[in-house]
Amino acid sequence: MLTNLLAIGPELVLTLTVVLVLIADLVIGDRPARRGSLAVLSFAGLAAAAATFFLLPDGGPAAFGGLVSGDGLGVFFRGLFLVAAFFGVAFGALSDEIPVERFGEYAAMLLATTLGMSFLVQSQNLLMILLSLELVSLPSYVLAGFRRGDSRSSEAALKYVLYGAAASGLMLYGFSLLYGMAGTLDLSAIGPALNAKAAGGSVGIRAGIALAALLSLAGFGYKVAAVPFHQWCPDVYEGAPTPVTAFLSVGPKAAGVAALIRFVVIGFGASVATPPAGGLPWPVLLGVLAMATMTLGNLAAIPQDNVKRLLAYSSIAHAGYLLMGIAVGTPDAVQAVAVYLPIYLLMNLGAFLAVMAVRAKTGSETIADYRGLVARSPALSIALAIFLFSLTGLPPLAGFIGKFYLFAAVVKAGTPFFYVLAIVGVLNSVVSLFYYARLVKAMFLEASPDGAPAVLVPVPVGLLLAILAIPTLVLGLWWSPLADLAARAAGIVG
Amino acid sequence: MTDPIVSAMVFYALAAFTLVAAGFVALSGNIVHSAFALFATLFGVAGLYAYLSADLLAVVQMLVYVGGISVLVLFAVMLTSGLDGPLTSNPTFRLGGGIVLMLAVAAAAFVAATAVPSGVESAAVPTTAAIGDALLGAYVLPFEVVSVVLLAALVGAVTLARGYKGGHR
Amino acid sequence: MMDVPVSWYLILAVTLFGIGTVGVLTRRNLLVVLMSLEIMLNGVNLAILAFARHHGDAQGQAAVFIVMAVAAAEVAVGLALAIALFRHEGSVDLDRATRMKG
Repeated sequence: MLTNLLAIGPELVLTLTVVLVLIADLVIGDRPARRGSLAVLSFAGLAAAAATFFLLPDGGPAAFGGLVSGDGLGVFFRGLFLVAAFFGVAFGALSDEIPVERFGEYAAMLLATTLGMSFLVQSQNLLMILLSLELVSLPSYVLAGFRRGDSRSSEAALKYVLYGAAASGLMLYGFSLLYGMAGTLDLSAIGPALNAKAAGGSVGIRAGIALAALLSLAGFGYKVAAVPFHQWCPDVYEGAPTPVTAFLSVGPKAAGVAALIRFVVIGFGASVATPPAGGLPWPVLLGVLAMATMTLGNLAAIPQDNVKRLLAYSSIAHAGYLLMGIAVGTPDAVQAVAVYLPIYLLMNLGAFLAVMAVRAKTGSETIADYRGLVARSPALSIALAIFLFSLTGLPPLAGFIGKFYLFAAVVKAGTPFFYVLAIVGVLNSVVSLFYYARLVKAMFLEASPDGAPAVLVPVPVGLLLAILAIPTLVLGLWWSPLADLAARAAGIVG
Repeated sequence: MTDPIVSAMVFYALAAFTLVAAGFVALSGNIVHSAFALFATLFGVAGLYAYLSADLLAVVQMLVYVGGISVLVLFAVMLTSGLDGPLTSNPTFRLGGGIVLMLAVAAAAFVAATAVPSGVESAAVPTTAAIGDALLGAYVLPFEVVSVVLLAALVGAVTLARGYKGGHR
Repeated sequence: MMDVPVSWYLILAVTLFGIGTVGVLTRRNLLVVLMSLEIMLNGVNLAILAFARHHGDAQGQAAVFIVMAVAAAEVAVGLALAIALFRHEGSVDLDRATRMKG
């Protein structure tokens, strides 16, 4: 029993932190240090959760009778989520979009989402997957609708809830079919059972497996905002408070990607190196989804005038790049995804933090208000340019390394389909340069509008920008530690 | 034991009742009618659970869904429409989309029916003890996580619905 | 009691699920959409129980137990949102929630 509890040590600490934050919020009341002390309490909880990683049982055995897996993939992403939660809490503490009297609820909801993500990546059981997906979703609905009295925020929450509930309904129906055909909820047993059934099965069985798999994809596709389950994404990202958007664009998305890897690659054993799993050509299926997702994301981003909306479409495009890696499904590809996501976290959080800083001073999120920003705030402009060029994937920035690993894995798959996929991916990166550069051009080459306010960056925001920008630069030149960690996550080295 | 023919008749009656009620929820133009039809649907589903030898779940369905959720929905209906206000909810049922969807459902039904061989069923036995064992044994982790989900939902619902002082923020 | 084959329950379940989906896709009143979602989830629960009956397995029943709790949580958040929406829009009509586009 103790091993079981130690295996979910970080999650136990997070649960405790959620409860403590809620209680502390009540106890502290309206005292002046409310925001600071709640933020410190949340950080302490996250640090304690990180410390329990050293107590995780060695060798990563499955705990709770196989409900959760202690493998490297789970450990890697659980660590990443703690980092995402740190920035989420910090952004919220620094933003005027989260009123001080509601910061406790914000932190509690954000930590509960993190808890869900943390369970999601290690779930080896359909019921656990569903449950942790809901634990990710429910608090994030609340976060999206956090600005009361702002109709854009409630509209964001509304769309998030409706799409989310419908997607989880579809996924649940898919899961019920999987359970019916395999007779178990255990992911590690479902894959082999279905592979065996599909091998000698009737048309009905094969159709059943296909239907179940496609319906299940809806739930994951919704979380990562992949086409055709992406419609909620731009509206939610635009309407939600900026710190929430920043967190949602990296946290739940990374959790969805990791869960999809576990479901498809580990559960079904799907990869280009193996025969079709469960009678389904997963690599081609996910590859087509990847192409559609990145193309739509990039093309739709071009005409956007709202920076948050632009970044929302950019995040859809990045989901497409990540799906390429899942489609390939080899350990190399999983490593590439694991390299890509931390880098994506840094640059995307950085971009949103810059947007938040500009919004705090100008009250605006439109590209027009970024004109001549370099004269008004040189450091902020340079930092934002670094993040945007890194998102494009230009060397020598970290984003280039992430893309390099991904494209290398795709090309290594070696079939004509994947060559095409790689070419589509490269073309998409070129398209993405167009809209990222539009924002950079507005900042550096255009004159400020008359009477545009200077954007002074408060010290804590500047510090966070530096914390995000420096690794974005350094990882572009010296990435081997990250690559080693990612290799461990992918199970390439023990 | 009951007569198999009577038992089958009751099943068909229950199934028809549930489907008609569900159709009423989804298609009725009057939101109060929809809410009451939901009540009936959930009731019918509880009966079907009992037929599937899920006796405990039939009771839970009555308590949680029929007793809890549908009353909650009724409250929300009353709170948001006002009794003398317009109760109708703009029916925009598009025929083409509906037909496509019905075909999809028919295909899915075919798949569902053929994917599982209808073999010999095991005898109906009370399952309450087995569920209890599962929830406190193999499934103790989900059982505990669900309490966190409920806590998060509770705090979240209060956060969303609570009134706010003055102006727009 | 099992003179009705499991496949009938499955067809019934998928039909319920389909009716719920129609409601979710076509209705413009948030509350009716939430009710239709409940019907979808009830359809799924029925399917899981039918499969559990087929496999003679208590796992499925335990799963339904938990799905019910999750569905209740989802409804709670959905209804809270309906109340919040009604408070500053004066309506729960989804057609009004179209400020953001593109």
